[in-house]
Amino acid sequence: MKPGLVNKPWPIPVEVGADGRPIAVGRLAVSAIREEWLVEDGWWTREPLRRRYFELVLEDGSDVVVFRQPSTEAKGWRWFRQRD
Amino acid sequence: MPVACALAPRFRLLTALGDRREAPGVGSRSRRTTAQKRPAALAPEPGAAQLVGEVSPAAERFGVRAGMRLGEALSRCPELALVPPDPERAERAWERALRGLETAIGAEVESERSGEAFFEAGGLRRLWGGIDGVLARTRRAAGMPVRLAAAPSRFCAFAAARHTRARSRPPVIADRDARAFLAPLPVSLLHGRLRPPGPGGSEAGEADDLPNELERLGIETLGRLAGLPRDAIADRFGELGLRALRLARGADEPLRPRSPHQEIAVELELPEAASGQQLERALELLIARLLAHPERRGRAVRAVRLSARLAAGGGWRRRAALRSAANDRERLARLLLPLLALLPGPAAVLRLEAVALGPAGGEQMTLAGPDEQRRRRITEAVRQARAAGGSEAVLRVLEVDRSSRVPERREVLMPFPEDES
Repeated sequence: MKPGLVNKPWPIPVEVGADGRPIAVGRLAVSAIREEWLVEDGWWTREPLRRRYFELVLEDGSDVVVFRQPSTEAKGWRWFRQRD
Repeated sequence: MPVACALAPRFRLLTALGDRREAPGVGSRSRRTTAQKRPAALAPEPGAAQLVGEVSPAAERFGVRAGMRLGEALSRCPELALVPPDPERAERAWERALRGLETAIGAEVESERSGEAFFEAGGLRRLWGGIDGVLARTRRAAGMPVRLAAAPSRFCAFAAARHTRARSRPPVIADRDARAFLAPLPVSLLHGRLRPPGPGGSEAGEADDLPNELERLGIETLGRLAGLPRDAIADRFGELGLRALRLARGADEPLRPRSPHQEIAVELELPEAASGQQLERALELLIARLLAHPERRGRAVRAVRLSARLAAGGGWRRRAALRSAANDRERLARLLLPLLALLPGPAAVLRLEAVALGPAGGEQMTLAGPDEQRRRRITEAVRQARAAGGSEAVLRVLEVDRSSRVPERREVLMPFPEDES
């Protein structure tokens, strides 16, 4: 058996504002952005990783972590949700 | 009964500087010159209170002293070089001096920290020609420059040794003079003297900070502290304050000499700075070698000390005790492997020492005890789950790189091994 990933990110629809920061995740509006950070890794490889993470508080009070990364298929960004 | 003290000043700082040719802000000359010319101090140990350790004379001239809060030390001396402590190395170097004292003069030595040794000198006076004879003999037996003193209590002897010169005649403080001798000395001398015996916990950090708190309240000398009412001290500082008061008044607890022991230790030099799984394999190898050590003579291991020399300089160590003595490789691995996560950096040398041994033969297990019964029940449950849900129905999370910034790279799911199921 191949090792399986724990905490694999899954794609999620995110609506962004003019500044590129999330304003809604799914159908829930973002109440607050608690933290924002950038992860860059493997820049020396053919598949560099570049993610901008956001820790958000949604209007129902839930705390979620989402990130965007450049999409290889579509032009622009793709959004994912992940537990940190 | 007078207590004799042999003190090697700044021993831990000098030992930590020993193999550091280019410590930050520190030159490459001999370690002694380096420590004296540049302001340097021992950095706090990982996980301990943020207080500096021993300081060089140059740092003292800036007003930095041992036990001072790190922030205050750096604001008093911005160019202060912080030297990573290497307690294991210091302890091993000091052990040679202690063995010298034990074998050459027959002293029953107490040594809670490297660079300091105390022993009851009363019983040795007739053997070596009075207290002066005992101290002269101690100087020769130590095998390194030490400051010596004798006083009615451990703390008083320490204070006297600290305020004497290495080659001068050792002071001998009489019972009636102890309190007067201590009175003008600073309360900062109490730093590190208030810790409860044994491995330090949160109380140790509190104890280390008490002298700072006394100073902030304007109690700067031991004489002022000794003059305060006992009730007021107990009310404000609790048990620690009362201990400080006893020391300031010249009293102390009896010595706790160490029991002679044989060193059972194994060491592994790692070819390159190791961390993660590579380090775990090295530790498993060390456990196997420790259990195969001929000096163990079949005795079970009750407590061990795991230490490492860090690739970036300095050292690290942790002591761990088993609930019951064992000579079982798996139990030792379960005890020690989690400690590797506390290592502050990649290791260049890993060392494992048995510090307490149990009886020969180790634990006498009963046939199918509660643990074994539980294991069998889990085995059966796993088999049933696999039969119902396939081979991947029971998996376990294996830590791969817990410090990775990419969350999905930290752990992977692996099949639950047959022998554990």
